[in-house]
Amino acid sequence: MAAPLTLLLIVAVTIRAALFRSSLAELIAERVEVVSPITAWKRVVEGLALLDLGVSPYSGDVFHETPLIIYMFHFLVDYAEITFMLADVITAVALYMAVKEYNKQVFRKQKFALEADRYPMDSLELIRSPKEMYYIPLKVAMFYLLNPFTILSCVAKSTCGLNNAVLALFFLSTIKGNVLLSAIFLCLATYQSIYPITLCAPAMLYFMQRQYIPVNFRRVSFWWFIVQYLFMYLGSLFVLICLSFFLLGSWDYLPSVYGFILSVPDLTPNIGLFWYFFAEMFEHFRLFFLCVFQINVFFYTIPLSIKLKEHPVFLMFMQLAVISIFKSYPTVGDVALYLAFLPVWSHLHRFLRNIFLVSCVLLACSVLFPVLWHLWIYAGSANSNFYYAITLLFNVAQILLVSDYFYAFLRREHHLTNGLYLKRKDGSEATLILK
Amino acid sequence: HHQCVNGWMTGCVKRFGVLKRYTNTGHLPFKNSAGQFFSSGHTNNWAVLVCTSRFWFNYRHVANTLSVYRSVKRLGIPDSHIVLMLADDMACNHRNPKPATVFSHKNMELNVYGDDVEVDYRGYEVTVENFLRVLTGRLPPSTPRSKRLLSDDRSNILIYLTGHGGNGFLKFQDSEEISNVELADAFEQMWQKRRYNELLFIIDTCQGASMYERFYSPNIMALASSQVGEDSLSHQPDLAIGVHLMDRYTFYMLEFLEDIHPASKTNMNDLFKVCPKSQCVSTPGHRTDLFLRDPGSVLITDFFGSVRKVELTMDAINLTDPIKQMEENPVNGEEQKEVYSYADQLPVSEIIHQKPKQKDWHPPDGFILGLWTLILLVFFKTYGIKHLKHIF
Repeated sequence: MAAPLTLLLIVAVTIRAALFRSSLAELIAERVEVVSPITAWKRVVEGLALLDLGVSPYSGDVFHETPLIIYMFHFLVDYAEITFMLADVITAVALYMAVKEYNKQVFRKQKFALEADRYPMDSLELIRSPKEMYYIPLKVAMFYLLNPFTILSCVAKSTCGLNNAVLALFFLSTIKGNVLLSAIFLCLATYQSIYPITLCAPAMLYFMQRQYIPVNFRRVSFWWFIVQYLFMYLGSLFVLICLSFFLLGSWDYLPSVYGFILSVPDLTPNIGLFWYFFAEMFEHFRLFFLCVFQINVFFYTIPLSIKLKEHPVFLMFMQLAVISIFKSYPTVGDVALYLAFLPVWSHLHRFLRNIFLVSCVLLACSVLFPVLWHLWIYAGSANSNFYYAITLLFNVAQILLVSDYFYAFLRREHHLTNGLYLKRKDGSEATLILK
Repeated sequence: HHQCVNGWMTGCVKRFGVLKRYTNTGHLPFKNSAGQFFSSGHTNNWAVLVCTSRFWFNYRHVANTLSVYRSVKRLGIPDSHIVLMLADDMACNHRNPKPATVFSHKNMELNVYGDDVEVDYRGYEVTVENFLRVLTGRLPPSTPRSKRLLSDDRSNILIYLTGHGGNGFLKFQDSEEISNVELADAFEQMWQKRRYNELLFIIDTCQGASMYERFYSPNIMALASSQVGEDSLSHQPDLAIGVHLMDRYTFYMLEFLEDIHPASKTNMNDLFKVCPKSQCVSTPGHRTDLFLRDPGSVLITDFFGSVRKVELTMDAINLTDPIKQMEENPVNGEEQKEVYSYADQLPVSEIIHQKPKQKDWHPPDGFILGLWTLILLVFFKTYGIKHLKHIF
């Protein structure tokens, strides 16, 4: 599988290099769907310029990335394009290797379950075979690299690509079972944008499953593992924060980075839900709604973890999707990351109900974003409501996609335990509804 | 400014003293002219000419105002001292069969819209508010000089209003009106701010006399074309243009003014006799009780013209203040040259402490050491030292 992967990488790098050389690069770099006030490359350059002038890069509400990004780009600013292409390549390769490993584990678990006769007879058609799972890693890498969202994000040199790379490496190290590396990569991801902290839960669940620690509140081993993981995670976070302090010599990156993400002062339109709401909100309700919106991101962790504690990888996918939809400054780069996981659940296709609607809506909204932006800003014949409507529709489509996969996954699990053709007690056919 | 006047006055007194010697030898006209020299205390003349009605059929009001403008300009008041407010453009109106002209006599004898008409307030700018602001001087700082009445306490101002009016009001632009009380208060403000020396107020509207009934400030003389209850009538229509060209009162006043030249000695009593009832159908009125001087001694050119008083003399006059001579630099000493240079507009180097080279910021060494030590530690912890030989 190395050869097709290499070919895919070459194709992807070629596309990106071609777009970098064309005139579309500046056009894409200023589109609000692709860059946000946190991830914009223009702001990184601005921060570096301020630093060269001797002024703190966080003065003036320009630069909202972490000091480690400054450190990295201080040396790499001339090779920025290669850096971002490399980040995309790293993401794809990490996802490839992770999904390959995950497939092996899935197949092994399935084999054990089959030998233990845990599946009823009529659900055997739901069993996955290695043949169908053979091309899934390549498909995942392809979904990530050739996704127009990813290409746009890379050509715009949005630091979201770096965030995706770190998350992919976290995913790889988690699947491989390396607790320390997983904690460190998760810490790096959290350090850059706060929301990946919710990925602690699936990571811990996965490790517990892998190390055969029962997920039971009354067990000491459960809590002990949690303490270990959290110690590693929080320790590396502490080290990173102190390192950032020593890098620039001041703490003013804390309000600029984390205060900015949490308090959402910049209301530039993007594909998220925050800007429109907060543009028209009264000041004395602002804190309340800020709390509501931010809690919305973190809220789904506990219920989803309880429901999906047997399937931490699917939980990770769900969590990534929730973060991408509900974070304060989402971009299409975040969307691309969880969309790359879809081939892993391609066996659920017979239970998906809304996939046509969702794909049509996502496609239409992606096309309508620049159209309505032009109508609003340049032609003046539309207003922000039009753009926000498309944003809402896009997010609704994403939520529908995620919930559809959730439904399909749970339904398959249900069929695997209870048989494919469900019968009521009197023998008549029953249907399954997700409530 | 007052010093100037005093200096002038003292200079004139000296000259008067010179004249007095002459009068002793019997030059009477000099005495009269000298007497008239000091009769009015004004040094400059202003005119505020307002036409308040728009629409083509009110052509005559614009022609009224323009004819007064023409006379006033001919008699010497420059455009910089005339505030001309015309509420509509008749010369370039679509219905004007002779574009770029405004005629005051039928058969197109006299075009009062020449080449050098300067309209200061035009069209919708002619409002009650703007008119009152012009009179009282309360204009925003961005108003250009041509739109301001920059008069002082030695100014004689002619104010001419024409349009449609009624008992106690004058209609502006068919949408608002100014009342006689407002006008009287505006003149009082002008008096209190010392914005005029003497004021001549002429109004040519229906029931025009009601507009000057409420004046209570000193040094105002007022004329109106009709009494309360009477209508001012228009003079003659021109069949080629299709509208009435002038109002009667202003028409006869224009004829009267055409005979005035800058040196004429005609006085106000003659102006009061302009347009008797036989010609005007309405009874013109005037009001002089607020005026300090006798109207018979007030020259027409005191208001309608800008007559500079020039007195020729052959005597040399010693000016009272000696002029101080500038001390010359010593010729033998070296010339002191002061080198002048422009101050730095924006001292950038003081604001931003610019370091000479680019990319001067380097991460602290401790940071680099610490970071890479950490990375190496993690790497070896994860993969173990025994794997080193596989990597290298």
